[in-house]
Amino acid sequence: MLFFSYFKELVGKEVVVELKNDLAISGILHSVDQYLNIKLENTRVVDDTKYPHMLSVKNCFIRGSVVRYVQLPPDGVDVDILHDATRREARGG
Amino acid sequence: MSWAGPDNFPATSTSLADNLDKKLLVILRDGRRIIGILRSFDQFANVVLEGAVERSIVEELYCDLPLGLYIIRGENVVLIGELDLEKEELPAFMVAVTHAEIKQAQKVEKDGEEHNKVDHKVQNVTTNK
Repeated sequence: MLFFSYFKELVGKEVVVELKNDLAISGILHSVDQYLNIKLENTRVVDDTKYPHMLSVKNCFIRGSVVRYVQLPPDGVDVDILHDATRREARGG
Repeated sequence: MSWAGPDNFPATSTSLADNLDKKLLVILRDGRRIIGILRSFDQFANVVLEGAVERSIVEELYCDLPLGLYIIRGENVVLIGELDLEKEELPAFMVAVTHAEIKQAQKVEKDGEEHNKVDHKVQNVTTNK
């Protein structure tokens, strides 16, 4: 639940999602769910010459199970709040 | 579980309901790209696509293979992208070819990749003395 809450805080921010098939997509985080499925808007493939399929795709749904990394803006996280939440989760969970 | 309408979803609920009856691009784990109209989905991201077409692309060549009505099991789904109908789906320089030609091009591309892999192996052997 912690990361679900954390991603909810990031809605509206620009992120880059790197998938397990090496595809990297940048976009604005529109929504996230309990499975950490991600919906991005204004998507742009990072290396778009290599992946011409995605040219006219501007919004996409990414299944949580295929995400390798989610790259965040440097100021996207308040580390202290995250630390506290993690400790609480570890204690109570 | 009652059927949730568009108003029932909280602000951050990832639902494919917005994409119903839209033309979508589905990328599968095996690398296939399927284009079709979303008719149904569920919480596992199983989807039903009507008028599905498999689009194969090798560099500037492409081929569309019609598939008909498809159910895709959610575990195979990587990404579901909404296709903007006003925008061109493919760059203008791309050339349509037959299924046989695209398969040949895919084979050539695959052989080229395997050849590169073998070269790396040979390099490792010589440096690990």
